[in-house]
Amino acid sequence: MSSASPSSELPTAAPTARPVLSVRNLTTQFRTDRGLLTAVDSVSFDVFEGEVLGIVGESGCGKSVTARSIMRLLPEHITRYGPDSRVEFSGCNLLELKERRMRRIRGDRIAMIFQEPMTALNPVYTIGAQLDEALRYHTSLSRRERRRRVLELLERVEIPSPERRRREYPHQLSGGMRQRIVIAMALACEPDVLIADEPTTALDVTIQAQILRLMDELRKTSQTAIVLITHDLGVVAQMCDRVVVMYAGQVVESAGVDDLFHDAAHPYTRALLESIPRSGARRTGRLATIPGMVPGLDEMPAACRFAERCSGREDRCTRIAPRLTDITDARSVRCHFPMHQAAGETH
Amino acid sequence: MWTYLIRRLAWNVPVYLGILLFIMIVLRVRDPVFARLPKNATEQDKADIRAELGLDQPFVAQYRDLLRQVCTLSFDQESWSHPGQTVGQIMKRSIGPSLAITVPALVFTTVLSVTVALCSAWFRGRLPDRLLVLTSVLGMSISFLVYIILGQYFAAFRMREITGIDLFAISYDPEVSGVGGMEFVTTVWPRYYLLPVLTSVVVAMGYDTRFYRAVMVEESSRDYIITARAKGAPQWRIMFVHMLKNAMIPIITRVATTLPFLITGSFLLERYFGIPGMGNQLLLAVESLDFPVVQAFTAVFAALYIATILLTDILYALVDPRVRLS
Amino acid sequence: MTEIGSSRAWRKFLRHRPAVIASVVIAVYVAVALSVLLTGWITLEDTSARVGPANLPGFGLLPDPEQRMDNAEWLAERIESLCDRADPEEALAGFRDLGSRRLADLNVDEFRRRIDAIWDTWDRLAELDDVNEAARSPETGPEVREGLAELDRRCEALLQPVSETGSVWRTLELLLGTDRQGRSIFLRAVYSIRVAVMIGLVTGLLAVAIGTLAGLAAGYFGGITDGIITWLYSTFASIPGIVLLIVLAFMFSGGELDASLNRVTGGLLRTVLGGRLDETLIPVYISFAITFWIGPCRVIRGETMKIRELEYVQAAVVMGFGRMRLLLRHVLPNVSHLMLINFSLLFIAAVKSEVILSYLGLGVQNGPSWGLMISQSGQEVMKGFFWQIGSATGFMFVLVLAFNILTDALQDVFDPKHV
Ligand SMILES: Nc1ncnc2c1ncn2[C@@H]1O[C@H](COP(=O)(O)OP(=O)(O)O)[C@@H](O)[C@H]1O
Ligand SMILES: [Mg+2]
Repeated sequence: MSSASPSSELPTAAPTARPVLSVRNLTTQFRTDRGLLTAVDSVSFDVFEGEVLGIVGESGCGKSVTARSIMRLLPEHITRYGPDSRVEFSGCNLLELKERRMRRIRGDRIAMIFQEPMTALNPVYTIGAQLDEALRYHTSLSRRERRRRVLELLERVEIPSPERRRREYPHQLSGGMRQRIVIAMALACEPDVLIADEPTTALDVTIQAQILRLMDELRKTSQTAIVLITHDLGVVAQMCDRVVVMYAGQVVESAGVDDLFHDAAHPYTRALLESIPRSGARRTGRLATIPGMVPGLDEMPAACRFAERCSGREDRCTRIAPRLTDITDARSVRCHFPMHQAAGETH
Repeated sequence: MWTYLIRRLAWNVPVYLGILLFIMIVLRVRDPVFARLPKNATEQDKADIRAELGLDQPFVAQYRDLLRQVCTLSFDQESWSHPGQTVGQIMKRSIGPSLAITVPALVFTTVLSVTVALCSAWFRGRLPDRLLVLTSVLGMSISFLVYIILGQYFAAFRMREITGIDLFAISYDPEVSGVGGMEFVTTVWPRYYLLPVLTSVVVAMGYDTRFYRAVMVEESSRDYIITARAKGAPQWRIMFVHMLKNAMIPIITRVATTLPFLITGSFLLERYFGIPGMGNQLLLAVESLDFPVVQAFTAVFAALYIATILLTDILYALVDPRVRLS
Repeated sequence: MTEIGSSRAWRKFLRHRPAVIASVVIAVYVAVALSVLLTGWITLEDTSARVGPANLPGFGLLPDPEQRMDNAEWLAERIESLCDRADPEEALAGFRDLGSRRLADLNVDEFRRRIDAIWDTWDRLAELDDVNEAARSPETGPEVREGLAELDRRCEALLQPVSETGSVWRTLELLLGTDRQGRSIFLRAVYSIRVAVMIGLVTGLLAVAIGTLAGLAAGYFGGITDGIITWLYSTFASIPGIVLLIVLAFMFSGGELDASLNRVTGGLLRTVLGGRLDETLIPVYISFAITFWIGPCRVIRGETMKIRELEYVQAAVVMGFGRMRLLLRHVLPNVSHLMLINFSLLFIAAVKSEVILSYLGLGVQNGPSWGLMISQSGQEVMKGFFWQIGSATGFMFVLVLAFNILTDALQDVFDPKHV
């Protein structure tokens, strides 16, 4: 393993520990008929063993593209990564890995859960066959052993009567069950990192709670690092240790979960928090709308991307792009006029 | 499933009755008696011929007779343009040559174009794919007839002139129509049928490849493909295991709907090369206002068509676990 | 599903460069068709008149020596026969076998003298076993080529020199060569644009109109109406398209019905269009329309049923909007993109089917069409003459390709889910 640990620009919860996965200046661009579009712009974060890192932001801000860049699941021929972009995992830069070696990491060391349980499974193969696949690629287990493992996995994600379910097709299962299957599939080879891209968005509230509880247990039992992508701040509060807030392809704030909820520094984060209804359970905290529109990928302002919608906008905001700066050793924010208490000023 | 099939069949009964009715009405737009009148015909001659052809019967009786033939599958009515031969005999004699073109053409075309489409999807957006899309659009913009004319000239005529290889006959030789069995397969078919088959394959490839490519591209953008890739599945497995089975549904539909279209394609091929198949016979019958043949042939074509549609439904259920025939 | 009125969709369409070029090409074709239809700068007579010897190659290329001799022989014999007529003067003045070129103003004896001169040269060349071979060989080559040039000069001496204005037309006449009967391939191919555009437009519009009406009615009213229309299109769809087309085309192209149809519709259209519409195409239009309405009907019926279930349409029903108004205000705009796409598809289908029908003798009867040109070129191709099949295919290829590209782009923009 390489010893040159990158000098972390982001504060970490445990500065002495080495991150399992470390994303550095990830820039992802798409070649389209409208030109080269930058969907993710210089995103950096670390994930440590046994921790849950939340990535939040409105839909379209580049969360899924970030996740898929890490796994290199984007269509190769139209995707371009920035020259200084790195995804460090077990000593190599995943972005430069040969496809063949990348394939050995996918599903084995890093696994992924998707938003839409209805479409994430192949409709023409049985549950069992699809669970079996990952084991086939990454283990040398015999057919019988694999079958036992499949049953184990089904039990682990609390699927009743696994022997019967194994032989069923995805359309015979409910949405919540399917999501459990997707999770079981991701867990098949006990990955070091689990990337969950809005795993509960498409489910109804009671099922959501079950899935989250399941993930929480997994984290506790197997020390898997989880990147939890969501646009639901309620989920963040319940699950995450640290949070990265994204807006229009950039990280605008990153902080520990308590700091973020009690003393957000970026106006965008504040706006997000304010849009959660105060009363009632935090579970209902879906993002309400903030007035204004996210700028399109082909019309990104050169200055602050949130300025247009920001209530505290000043002249400078529309002229100079703010840089992501550390405000304490565990937090950073991309704003000319951060709003947290330590800054000691108000607008 | 059986109840479903029976219900579908039941729905197709009125459709089928409609087809027979329609074709009888359309045919009677022109009076076949005129064409058969001798010079200086009298009213009596006219009436005689009319009676001879059975056209003096009321329309309903004629309709009933056609229905009887279809239901009992005994096409025993005498052809008007080939006296002494029944429609059934003509059909039996021409079905072989037609199938000798359509069946190999369909098999070649489907296998080739699905393969090419898969390759194209593999190279999606890159040069081979773009070239293929371009070629098929260019190929589709040229008339079938041009392919036939040029195919005949280059493959049969010029090839013999230049290389001296006498592989394909320029056109069909009626002498060989009696040949059957092994001899047909080894000598007659390659010489007289292979060129029409190849022409048909080249023409159909453009359309089919394009369609199958669109299907593959559509499939390749589905979420389950990403899931499979996230599991670490290799590219070939994604294409041949995950995509292909899902793509089977549109492929089956396509093949089924191409079946009758290949028969239509062979109209032109049969006519141009002079092959005595169903299409050619039907054309001759239309031209000579041979009502019994046209009616019976259309009835059979339509029955086959409906049967293929039903067959497609059954195949769907076999391929796609989501489809329940109910 | 995108509404046709959406300016965003049209912007997307305009960014699609091939589609824009294709639209321009189509516009040019339509403009040519209109110019032929309205100004008549090419008449039906122009396309059926002899403009020169048979199978002349295009672009002013010289035929091979053998054929050049044949052509000289043809011209000499033709004029000789005119000289032998009872009133040679008049016969010679009425000579029209070289298109717009006229015979020189000479008396009969002078013609005979010049023709004899042609025969002199001709006989000299005819002594060679194989002129083509001789013209190629290094020894006899120069002499034979000189002889052929002399032959051409002597033929030319029978004709009036071409005038400035006449030369342009003459160039057009011979631009793509001549067919087996010495007719101008270029004029025929261009005139065929008119035929193709007419067939495409008329059948496209007719079929889309019928299909839309039936589809809207079936999808919107449901019940019995839907039952009948579904039954109708299932019936038509169960007869393979080409069988239907052939049977219909044949049945409508002769007999009393055709005659009476011609009287009614032809008379009507004649008064509207001043006799510029081919009445002989009516059977083709009818059979195409009857065969092709099924496609648009099916998709529009499906789409209408979907739209009917939409909330705002349901709300409008509840609010008591009239059915007609609903159809016109909400449903029709939402299926208009399908109408456009289907029109484009049917245009292609019609132009291509014309070739097949014409080959079978059931298509265009009166005047040229690409289909007739391709059908007639079969024998020429066997002799190695590709100008006719090439020209007809080329003209048709560009139009059909443009429509194919346009259809693709329209589907991309308005109906992206479509496979
Ligand atoms: N294959 C692609 N080609 C072009 N643009 C894309 C592609 N995939 C995603 N994008 C764009 O990237 C942006 C970020 O998308 P995404 O990461 O899916 O957002 P979200 O945060 O909701 O997950 C969006 O504007 C989307 O349109
Ligand atoms: Mg997303």
